Formats: sequence, structure tokens, C-alpha cells
Amino acid sequence: MKREIFCGLVLALISCILTSCSSSTAGGRYWGKTEPPKENVLRYISGSEPESLDPQIPTGQPEARILMALYDGLVEYHPKTMAPIPAIAESWEISPDGTEFIFYLRKNAKFSNGDPITAKDFVYTFRRGLSPELAAQNAYLAYEIKYAQAYNSREAFVKDKDGNFLLKKDFFEDTKASKSESDKTSTFGPDTEFHRFINSPERLTVPLDEKTREAFFKKNPKIKEAVEGKELVPVRAEDIGVEAIDDYTLRLKLALPAPYFLDLLAHQFFRVVNQRVIEKFGKEWTKPENIVTSGAFKLAIHRPYDVIVVVKNPTYWDAENVSLDRIEFYPSEEQTTSMNLYKAGSVDAIYNHTVPASWIEEMRKFKDEYLDHPEVAIEYYTFNVTKPPMNDIRVRKAFALAVDRFALSKFRKTTKPLVDFTPEGIFPQYEAARKRVYEELLKEYKIPVEEWEKRYFNPAKACQLMREAGYQVRDKENGRCEVLNFPADEVSVTYNTSESNKAVAEFMQAQWKQNLGITVQLRNMEWKTFLPTRKALDYKGMARAGWVGDYMDPNTFLKLFYGPDNDSSTGWYDPKFDRMLDEANSETDPEKRFELLARAEFYMLQAQPVIPLQTQATNWIKKPYVKGLYPNPGTLHAWKFVYIERDPAKWDRDVDNIMKESDPIIEEKIARLMQTQIEFEKRKKAGA
Amino acid sequence: MQEKEIVKGTSLWKDAWKRLLKNKLAVFGMIVIAFMIVAVSIGPAIIKWTTGYTYDYIPSDSDLIRSFPPSLKHPMGTDDAGRDILARVLQGGRVSLMVGIISTLVSLVIGVSYGAIAGYLGGAIDNVMMRIVDIIYSIPYILIVIVLLSVFGGPNTPNFIKATANIFGGGQGLSQIFMLFFALGLVSWLTMARVVRGQILSLKNQDFVMAARATGVSTFGIIFKHLVPNALGPVIVYATLTIPSVMLSEAFLSFLGLGVQAPYASWGSMVADGIKNISIYPWQLIFPGVTMALTLFSLNFLGDGLRDALDPQTRKF
Amino acid sequence: MLYFIIRRLLIIIPTALLVVSVTWLLIRLAPGNFYTGEKKLPPAIEENIKKKYGLDKSMGEQYLMMIKNVLSGDFGDSLKYQGQSVNEIIRRHLPYSATIGILAYLLALIVGLTAGILAALKQNSLLDYTSMAIAMLGISIPNFVLGPILVIIFALGLYILPPARWGGISNLILPVVTLSAIYAAYIARLTRAGMLEILRSDFIRTARAKGLDEKTILLRHALRGGIIPVVSFTGPALAHLLAGTVVVEKIFAIPGLGNIFIQSVLNRDEPLILGIVAFLSILIMVFNLLVDISYGFLDPRIRYS
Repeated sequence: MKREIFCGLVLALISCILTSCSSSTAGGRYWGKTEPPKENVLRYISGSEPESLDPQIPTGQPEARILMALYDGLVEYHPKTMAPIPAIAESWEISPDGTEFIFYLRKNAKFSNGDPITAKDFVYTFRRGLSPELAAQNAYLAYEIKYAQAYNSREAFVKDKDGNFLLKKDFFEDTKASKSESDKTSTFGPDTEFHRFINSPERLTVPLDEKTREAFFKKNPKIKEAVEGKELVPVRAEDIGVEAIDDYTLRLKLALPAPYFLDLLAHQFFRVVNQRVIEKFGKEWTKPENIVTSGAFKLAIHRPYDVIVVVKNPTYWDAENVSLDRIEFYPSEEQTTSMNLYKAGSVDAIYNHTVPASWIEEMRKFKDEYLDHPEVAIEYYTFNVTKPPMNDIRVRKAFALAVDRFALSKFRKTTKPLVDFTPEGIFPQYEAARKRVYEELLKEYKIPVEEWEKRYFNPAKACQLMREAGYQVRDKENGRCEVLNFPADEVSVTYNTSESNKAVAEFMQAQWKQNLGITVQLRNMEWKTFLPTRKALDYKGMARAGWVGDYMDPNTFLKLFYGPDNDSSTGWYDPKFDRMLDEANSETDPEKRFELLARAEFYMLQAQPVIPLQTQATNWIKKPYVKGLYPNPGTLHAWKFVYIERDPAKWDRDVDNIMKESDPIIEEKIARLMQTQIEFEKRKKAGA
Repeated sequence: MQEKEIVKGTSLWKDAWKRLLKNKLAVFGMIVIAFMIVAVSIGPAIIKWTTGYTYDYIPSDSDLIRSFPPSLKHPMGTDDAGRDILARVLQGGRVSLMVGIISTLVSLVIGVSYGAIAGYLGGAIDNVMMRIVDIIYSIPYILIVIVLLSVFGGPNTPNFIKATANIFGGGQGLSQIFMLFFALGLVSWLTMARVVRGQILSLKNQDFVMAARATGVSTFGIIFKHLVPNALGPVIVYATLTIPSVMLSEAFLSFLGLGVQAPYASWGSMVADGIKNISIYPWQLIFPGVTMALTLFSLNFLGDGLRDALDPQTRKF
Repeated sequence: MLYFIIRRLLIIIPTALLVVSVTWLLIRLAPGNFYTGEKKLPPAIEENIKKKYGLDKSMGEQYLMMIKNVLSGDFGDSLKYQGQSVNEIIRRHLPYSATIGILAYLLALIVGLTAGILAALKQNSLLDYTSMAIAMLGISIPNFVLGPILVIIFALGLYILPPARWGGISNLILPVVTLSAIYAAYIARLTRAGMLEILRSDFIRTARAKGLDEKTILLRHALRGGIIPVVSFTGPALAHLLAGTVVVEKIFAIPGLGNIFIQSVLNRDEPLILGIVAFLSILIMVFNLLVDISYGFLDPRIRYS
């Protein structure tokens, strides 16, 4: 009898679990509890616990989102497109050669303690971020600024007896350094002593540290000769190309034209910090009792691993247009926990990639909540091109062609198939330019159009390539085949532990098994074991990789293959590709530049050092009453535009179209902000 | 005396076996375990032969790459990649049963003798032995596993390790499984040692030990013939408790890159995957979960039965 | 006895140092670094980081510096969470995991002891089978399954308890129950086994023969000897519970030490790892000492020389 009771209990439990789910799916328009919070507050799950609240330290996206609330920069991300819009800089201009920027700051910008924000604060911020003592991992983002890399790398100028400095162009004949160096004096903005210095021909810099310098000399014996016996003058913070012309005018000088640099300036690394507070409290300055911020919100509570509460900053220059009174960031990385909190109505929105792949079909039914848009992020497999059999380009191409990308993206549900290296649907102008260029290139490379169109999946071609590579191939039905003597032991897929990586790897394995008859081994590793393995090319065959763009330009992806010591973890390097990229980036006409970049991309992909797999999707959910939170390509939200809508009639509907629809409240805010820059450009035109 | 014991020994096992057969639950447990062992050994082959499905078969038709509820074709349904769950449960059972049994044996052999020796000898030896246990207990397990992996399989494998691995046959697969058992065995005996030591401490001053000592039985004899059999109850219970915990540790280890590599499965990993989808695809949790629970129950019934059957005290009654 | 305790206390410090040293060595052997990331750092930035944290010094120097820090009780700053000292992190997060851990263990003790004792007294009865079956259920259902199921029922189905996060008492219920289940099951089974062992032993029979009433026999004699396996198990288990358990902390988004510990290892956050390891090893040794002392009280036959 007791057993019956027990069984009954178990049955009741199971049925309860099942009904609680079915009632929620059938029950209503929304998933779980959907009531706006009583106060003007946004409760947001932000991912891992932030490493630091110092904007110049952390590198992750979860931190970026929190820091965007706390700090303001020269420019802010447009909430939909992530293009730069005016923030502390009211307006700006770029020199004709693309290497100089002048920012005109607004006069009413203040820190949260009331200190005014001036150009000097930005100079301090940039210098601090680049200082070798801070050792910021993100410092490389500012390397485009003239002498920034030299300063950050503890390098020195070389001065001869007459007090003249050695120049870079005398030593690097054919590289980018000499090519774009303009000897003419710049007349961009007011003439100052610093401006003359920073615009003089680029000086040679050598490492200050003796060991590093010896290594450098070994590579460049010519420089060793020239430097010997001359004085080394360390590059100082004051030497980098950042200048406060006056309190409200800031001038930046880049070493080379970098058309994407303005996009980069909204990054947290460039957001302004308060010198006085940092110097007073040292490393303790980010404690809630000490911290001074510059953004729309200021820190109220920080309980690590529990909650970060930021409240509206009354001293913020645009405070009257900040709608939320408070944002609560909950650091949690557990997908299920986040989803549970959301369903119970304890949070209003969750950061990206939080909906488990297997739930997506269910969640898609909640059209007003589930957001699935392309992201400035890709997933791909790298080849170890230094080891056989993957040192054979035909084998690499065969492996790439034997994977059905459409089936993969259907299986992963949120992603778009990818065969190029830059994400699909993120850079529309670039994609248009690429299409034009590819038509030419196909003729140039004599690639038939039908074959080109089948690059998403072409098992027959893959089999043919394997045969050409000298393997015994037995044909099977549907263009598939079995490669008989392939050294499968020498090929495996190494990936870092994660459910989604595992699912993709299993799928890939099955694809190669079915289409080529090759069974590769899968090998997963913990993150920090995986990274050195991949970087040192200690993997056999293939490794999983992902890349999130630092800024909204294809260059952030293509740069991965730039230089002999590049970050692609493939072992692939081609100086011709470097030259193509250099050529593209010194082009000032955007359309032409994109075409040149597309050529470089095509050239690189012809060598197939990677298998592009998919463009990632943002994949997150928000309650319909949260407005102004857009699925932009980086899921980076400019929080000041976000507001809570209490009238259910005005709630977001069918968020698949959210990027196309316009919200008058937000559009009006953006238009007002853009006004200063538009007017400035008008005045300039009229003046010229 | 020696002779007598041997004679008695044979009948002891026979008696125990008889008593075990009288215990209905234990017999049930035995049948289930036997069935499981047979099923996981030949099951995958049968399924492949009858339906063509294997644990790693992902359909080539992309419409079929999704989770389907149980049907005639797939009695346990399919997982997210459209793979047959029955085939995966059977294949995963091989790993889980092996892991459970081997680490429990390690825990029994090392843990019991270690704890018994420390407890019986006492004093400084006990102190040192138990501090070693404390040290192993305190060092972060996950760090040990990470280092193990990197030293034995990773990029920086020292040459002497590679050479040693080659002596034993080498190969990625071998070292992987070997490391898994090593990693699980490393910790599974620690609490067992403490439990056994606690029992021995309370037993060692009892009359029957004094008597044995007086009659000149060796230390080894006292520990393993007199003390350990009397502590068997908690030992067997703790051993049956070790099995589920190592089966689940295996799922955790696969997170670090140890354990079974995809697309292989284990019960632990299937349950861990299944729980995430419980409200959408409940069959992903229920079938592996119930199989695992049934096995653990049976092992436990069997353990209890064994304890009762082997108990020297019950024999007296 | 006093001599014994002092000796055991004295040995704690060198043992903990040994644990810390071995751990330090393991961290240095493990691949990756606290600054290893998806993006390859320019060598200059890596140099800057090494210089900043003294990683450019020789291994011997670094080891000595670490030992000096540990001996002074100051583990320095976390490498991952900049500007936060290790001691501060431990002090801040210990209360969360300790609250949950102690509550869970208390609950487990109450449930497990009651079930175990009753089962042992009524061996082979229906009560015995039922309670042991439930105990087995507690062991067979891992906490990463139990937790979500409880959440689905009570937080998302009935909406009576919060699904996660730290807060009021209602936030404690689900994590405490989830965490205690397996311990209750262990305790129930160990108690039953220990009690059965004792109830059959000579001295209980002697006590019965002496005509002592069952209640006295049970509580004064049998229980004390019978729970020795439970006590042996409690030492390390309680230490680990206090220091937090990853699974439950993750499921319920509790800012406890357990999750931070695992993260610190995955992040290769050396000072934080060492700090928590030192703390944990001392905790384990203290608890085991308490266990050894309590053996003496539970069973007068156990003596330490």
C-alpha cells in the first residue's frame, strides 16, 4: 500500500513538471510572468562577474555592457547600428588624409562627483590606458595612435650626437611605415608645438629592454649598426598622438589612416575616467565608496557574484533624457537559471546566447520576446596548415566542401551558414562591394559560377579533390565517397568544452563520416588548456575558433591573418595578403576600400586556412515592455535609450521586425544628439 | 587451526551464497545488474543490426536532426541531433558501469586497507597517513586533473612521459581511459579510508581482537581477518554510495576534457544534458535517468544482501 | 588528550603550507595563464603584465614571495578581479556558502538520523524498505537534476518560491533542500549500517542481559557507537559544505565560495586559488580533529596515545 502512495507521488511529480511546461506554452502570448516592474528599473542578467569596473581593464562583453552604463566616451554606439553618435564630443572632423581627428567636446559634461570633463581628462585616459604599468590587455586597440604602441611596449627613440632622431622610413623601405608617411606639414586644426612634433616624420623606435632589443636587432641588423653608440630616449606618455588643444578640443593623430578608428572610440577602453580619484585611491578606486564615473549611471551597490546596481547619475550632461532610474545587473552564466529567473518575472532581459539551442523552437513561438538577429561574430574551424595531411590545400578544401552548412545552421537553429570569413548580414555595404568584386575574381581565377554557388556544400567536388590529392577514393551514391587510405589518426577536432561546441563538433564528425567516409576524433579541453594548445599549433588537423568583432568593420576579422605572427592559429601566413590589406586600409574612399578588402578576403579564402561555419546570432530574450533594447550586432546597449513601457498597447510586437520599425521616442532622442554633428558639418561646408 | 579455517572457508562462501539467494531484493538486484551487463555488451550490436542506428548516427536528412519523442522506430526517442537515445543509453552504460565498478574496487582495495592499517597501528603512523589523506583532500581536484591532462596528453607533454606511455602501448584512447580511472581512483578512496579507520578505532580494543592478539595472530591477520570483516557493514554501504558519485564525477570530468569524448555518451552526461531540456523533451532525461537509477538501486540491493550474507555476526545466530 | 590536541593543532600549519606549495606547483604546471584569452596578446602587453605581477622573476623568487605572503596571512590581490584582495573575497563569500551548507547539513542530520535509526530498529520491515528506498532515490537523483525539478515545480509551476538568487528565507528553501538530499541519504544509510553493526555486538547483548531498558540501550549505547561512520563522513563533508558547492550555487545563482573556487582554478587566478586552498585545508584538518576527538566521547574504547 505504501508503495502505491509512493508511486502516486512520483506520478504526481512528473505530471506537475510536464503540465507546468505545457500550460506555459499554450497558456498565453508571453512566456512566464509578464508584468513591468513597479519602479523605473531594468533587471538584466549580464553574464559572468565583471573582472573590474575600471573601463580600461576588462576585455569581455559582459563587462562592456556594465561599463557602458557607468562611463561615457567621445562617441556612443547607435542603439541599432552601433555606428558612432555624439556623446561627450558634440562634433568632430577628420583630416583629408584620414590620420587626424579633432573632437569638439560639450561644455556641460561632468563626472559623477561634479568635476567637469575636459579634453585633458581624455588625454589622461588615453595615456593611462596605454601606460605599460597599467598593463591593460586592451591597449592594442589604441595602437593606431601614433607612438602608442612604442610607449606601451617600453620602446625608445634613437637620438644621434647632433640631437636628430633616426627616422623609421630610413629603415623600413617597402613597408606601410614609409608608404603613407606624409612629410608635408599638416594644417589640420591650430598649429601647436606638439602638433609639429607629432606630424614630423615618424621616428624609429627600438625596445628599451636589452634582451628584447637584442632580439629585435637580430632581425634587423641594419638598425643595430645605425643605433650603436647613439642615445636612447624612452617614449613617454606625452609623446603619443593625443593632444588637448584647449579644454574642449581634443586632437588625435594616428600613425596610419584607419577608417574604422572612429567606430572604435565607443569602446569602453576609450571612455573617460577621473584622474583625481584614480590617483587618490589607487587600485581601490573602483570600490563603491570611492568610484567616480562619467556615464549616464553611477554605481550604487556592488555585491560580487550577486548584483551590481547602478542608478541614474544626476550630474550626467544628458540626465534629463535618461529614462531608467536604476539598472540591476545580475551576474549569472547559467542558461537555465537565467531562463528560470526570466520566466518567473524576476528579470526583464538577458544577455546574448542565453537561450539553449534545444529550446529555441519553443521560444520562437514567443514572437514578442525572442530576439534572433545576426551578430558581428563568426564560428569557424582552423586548419593546422603546418602538419600533414592538412598542409595540402586540396585536403583542406575537401574538408570544407564536405560539410553541409545549411544543415548545420538548421541544426543549430539560430545561425546563418557562412562560407566567407566576415559575418553575413552585418556589413551591408561591404557585402555589396564584395559581390561586385567576386564576379571579377571568378573570371580571373577561372572558377565556374555553378561551382562557386555550391561552396556551401559540394561533396562531389570534395571527393574529386581528395582523389587529386592522391588518396584512394571509392564513390558512393549522391556524390559521396569513401576515402580509403586517409590518415584519420592524424586529424582530430579540438574544441573547448561547451555544449554548443560539442554539438557542432559531433555534427561535423558525422558529416565527414557520411560524405568522405573519414572518421575524425573529437577532443574537448577546458578553456585555458585549449587556448595555448591552439595558439601553439599543438593540435592535429582542426580546432574550433570563434571571433567577435572589436568594431563595426570587416577589418576586425581580416586582421586575424595579418602578419607573420598572426592570431589565426592556423600557421598560415602570406605577405601578399598583408600588402593587400595595407593597400585597402590606406584607401580613403570607403567603397573602393571595401572592394580592396573583399579582394584580400577572397585571396585568403582561396588558401582555405579555415572552414568558416556560421554567423552567430544574438539569441536572447526580453520582456515586451522593455523598449529601446535592440539586438544590435554586438548586443551592446546604450542604456540611456532604454525605457519601460507601462501601456501594454505600446509593448513590442513581433520583435523579428524590431530593427526595421522605428520607435519615435528613441528616434527623437538620437536625432537630437546627431543634431550637433550635422550642424557642424553644414557649417563646415558653408565655410569651405 | 590453519586447516580448520580453510575447510570452514569453503562452506562460508556457500552459506553466504545460500543466504543471498533467500534475499528477494538482492536476487532482483542481481538479475537487473546481469541484464544490464548483457544489454550494454550486446545491445548496441543488436540495435545496429535491426534498425541501423548507432550511438553516433546523425541523420543525413536535416529534417530529422531534432529531438523526436519515443516511437516504434526509436523506443526512447532521439536527442537534439536526432540520434537514437536507446543506442546511446546502451553505449553509455558501458562507460558508466565500468567507471562505477573500477573506481569502487579502487576505493575498496586502497581505502579499506589504508584506513584499516592507519586505524589499527595508530599513533604517529596513523597521524601521518591521515594527514596525507587530508592533503589530497585539500588540493583542488580539478587542478590535479587539469595538470594530469596537460602533462599526459597536452601540448607540453614531457618526453619521458611520452616514452613511458609508449612502453604501455601509447595511443590517445588508452591514455585517456587510463587517466580517467586514475583521476577517479585518486579521490574515491579518501572518505572510505576515513570511514574504515573510524570503525577500526572502535573495534580494535574489543575482546575478540585482544584474544586474537594473545593467540599470536599476525598484525596483518588481525587487520584483514578479524577487524575488516567486522567493519564490513559500513564499508559495503559506503561502497554502494561511491558508485553513483563516481558516475556523476565522470560527467564533471568530461567538462575538463577527461572522461569520455564526444560523440560517446555516459549516463551521467546524458542525464546532465537531459535535465536542461526536461520541460521540452522530457524523454531525454527520463530514459537515461531511470536506467541509471534502476541500476543504482539494484547495486544497492545487491550490496545490502551481500552485507547481510557475509556478516560474521549473522552467522552466529 | 590535551597533548594529543595540541600536537594535532601544531601540525596544521606545516601541513597547510605543504598543501599550498603543492597547489602552487600544480598551478604553474597547468597550461594557460590568468591573462590567456581568445585574442593573442601582443608580446609587449604580455611583458607588461608579467612585469606588473612579478612573473618575470625567477621561479624560486616567486615561490619564496608566495610563501612569505601566505605565512603573513595575506594572500595578496586576485589577478582576475582587480583591486580585490583574496582575504576580502573569502570573507565576503564565505557567509553565503556557510549558511546554505550548515542549514543543509542540519536538515540532512535530522532527516538522515531519524530515518536511519528507525530503519535499523525495524530492520527488514516496510518502514525500513521505504526509508532506504527514499534514501536511494536521494542518492540516485543527482543534485543537478533535483534542483531544477524543484525549481520547475515550486518556482515556475506553483510560483510560491523564488527560482534563484540570494534574498530572504524563501530563497534559502530550495537550495538547502537540494543540497541536503544527498547528505540525508548518505547519513540515513550509514546510520542504519552502523546501528545494525552495534545492535548485534556483544556489549549491547550484555546491556540487554543486564536488564537495562531499551531506550537507555538505544540512546546511551547503540546510537553512540552506531553513528561513528556518520561522524567519520561528516568531517570532510562539512568542510566542503562550508566552503560551498558549485552545482547548487550555480543552479540558484548564489554568490558562494564554491563557485568562486572553481572559477578561480579555471581562471588560473593563483592568489585566490591559494587562499581558498589554505582556508579549506585548515578547515578540513580542524574538522577531522574534531571528529577524532568526538570518537573518544562516542566510544570510550577509542583512546589516543
